[in-house]
Amino acid sequence: MGLLVREVARLRFSVHFKLLAAFMLVAALVAVMGAMSLEIISTMSTQSEAMHHAHHRVTASRQAQHALAMQMSYTAMALILRDEATIGSILRENNRLNSGLAEIEDAAPPEEREIIQRIRTAQGEVMATVADVANLVRDGKIDEAMRLQLKEGYPLSQQVEGLVEQVVRIEEDSMARQREATARANRHAFYLMGGFVLASLLLALFLGFVTSWSFILPVREAQGFLGRIAKGDFSTTVTVDNRDEFGALAARMNNMSTELHRLYEEEREAARQLEALNSQLARASQAKSEFLANMSHELRTPMNAILGFTEMILDDIYGDVPPEVRGPIQDVRTCGQQLLLLINDVLDLSKIEAGRMELSLTDYSVQEVVETARTSLRSLAAEKGLDFTADVQVDIPLAYGDGKRITQCLTNLVGNALKFTKQGGVTIRARLEGERVVYSVTDTGIGIPNDQLDHIFGEFRQVDSSISREFGGTGLGLSITKTFVELHGGRIWVESEPGRGSTFHFAIPLRFAKATEAA
Amino acid sequence: MSQKKILLVEDNEFNRKIVHDLLARQPYDLMEAHDGEAGVEAARREKPNLIIMDVQLPKMSGLDATRRIRAEPETSKIPIIVVTSFALSGDDKKAMDAGASAYLAKPYSPRQLLEAIRKWMGDA
Repeated sequence: MGLLVREVARLRFSVHFKLLAAFMLVAALVAVMGAMSLEIISTMSTQSEAMHHAHHRVTASRQAQHALAMQMSYTAMALILRDEATIGSILRENNRLNSGLAEIEDAAPPEEREIIQRIRTAQGEVMATVADVANLVRDGKIDEAMRLQLKEGYPLSQQVEGLVEQVVRIEEDSMARQREATARANRHAFYLMGGFVLASLLLALFLGFVTSWSFILPVREAQGFLGRIAKGDFSTTVTVDNRDEFGALAARMNNMSTELHRLYEEEREAARQLEALNSQLARASQAKSEFLANMSHELRTPMNAILGFTEMILDDIYGDVPPEVRGPIQDVRTCGQQLLLLINDVLDLSKIEAGRMELSLTDYSVQEVVETARTSLRSLAAEKGLDFTADVQVDIPLAYGDGKRITQCLTNLVGNALKFTKQGGVTIRARLEGERVVYSVTDTGIGIPNDQLDHIFGEFRQVDSSISREFGGTGLGLSITKTFVELHGGRIWVESEPGRGSTFHFAIPLRFAKATEAA
Repeated sequence: MSQKKILLVEDNEFNRKIVHDLLARQPYDLMEAHDGEAGVEAARREKPNLIIMDVQLPKMSGLDATRRIRAEPETSKIPIIVVTSFALSGDDKKAMDAGASAYLAKPYSPRQLLEAIRKWMGDA
């Protein structure tokens, strides 16, 4: 069966044609069955007619037999009753006998027709004798009439009777044969019809089975195939024997699968390359961070000596410093401290990039943060002749977080503000807003163009490189400040108008909590 | 009565000179070691009143040397001020875990160092 299904699938015809062919075949079977039924009905009708005919002939032959008997009987009665009416009855029965024979004779076989001919001849003689007997009766010669009848009429009648008997038997035999033939024909029709119906039924079922399975199998295959594709197995293929639309569909699916597989491989290759590139970058970044950390260490060792010696000189450890040398030595210290700040920034950045920046959490005072930032930069503001004020809400409670880093953030912002302001002043504000402390640093400096506001907090950013030449700085401060603010779960933003100044704000939770880190 | 002894374990010549100059007019005897092993050896031999220990040292790190000194009964009570220039966060904790009495990050101010020395000598 499976073999046949495969063969049907392999047929190089369209699904439409195959379906049509199967239905047409079934329809043809039905049509043939109809024709056969008509043929059988017609045969049965012919048989029935023949039966009816045979029956009629039997009836006619019996009628003839009966008429003959009556005729003999009336002849005997005429000898007793001697009236014309009885004689008339004899003639009437004779007519009935003749008409019965006439009905049979036309369609009779030759030997029967010969018998009928002999009946006619004998009957002719019987009737001639009857006529003589009748005349003798009319003449009153009854004895003579009786003698004639017994001597000639009766034997002749008996002869006729025997012949009619033969005809009746022939007709009855014929009817029996006809009945048998009809029964045979009926049986034959029954078996033929039944066999044909059964065969048609089986053929229709078989065709339905084979055709439908030749379609179901590829659909199932396709289903499994699509299932595997859906699960991401792009190396799968679909195999069907069909050379019809299903075959074409399978070929398309396989093309699709190949294409998907190719795309998937490309994608994977690209992802692999990207991953390799990524880990390369990560390694490079790690190497850079380690390099920066080592550099910071190497830089701090001589810085320690430079700052240490200048401090000790200025503290007169090596004896009194001549007034004209004290100034330049103070300059050495100032520059040394600036250099140290830069080194610290680089170290902070390397720690941030290496993911090793951690907050050192303690209670701290917001007032102290502002005061420390202000103290460390007061001399710079004074040197530039700028107003430098601080405005801190007095009732801010003790804060919890990395106070040193918050101070560093504020110092960075204030340092920048002083750096970029030539006249006017810088104001520090600190306010408690809900659960957050908002620090603001307002200056009357050069301001920041609108299109730069978004990336001012990126690494190594300054508005443009000419500014770094005029004002100095690495551009690390804002990026580091942003990182510390965010590590505290806070937010930093800036408002600015070029030419009129800027205000930097940062808001951090009064009490640091792990959960706010993600905010 | 002999002066109190301070052992400085530091590999950088100039940083040794700072401490030397800083203590020149102070009533302390300063002795120096240039690496961790020599530091441990000197501590055992001289039993100083105070040790100033750099962290980044050749041969043996300052933290290992601190642990050694703390491990020996004869030297275990000597105050040790650990100084590091590798100021990653957690370094102070590492120093205290190793047994340091105090921790200073480079660059330190000589004034601060002197204050710390006096404090641990009981001379403040």
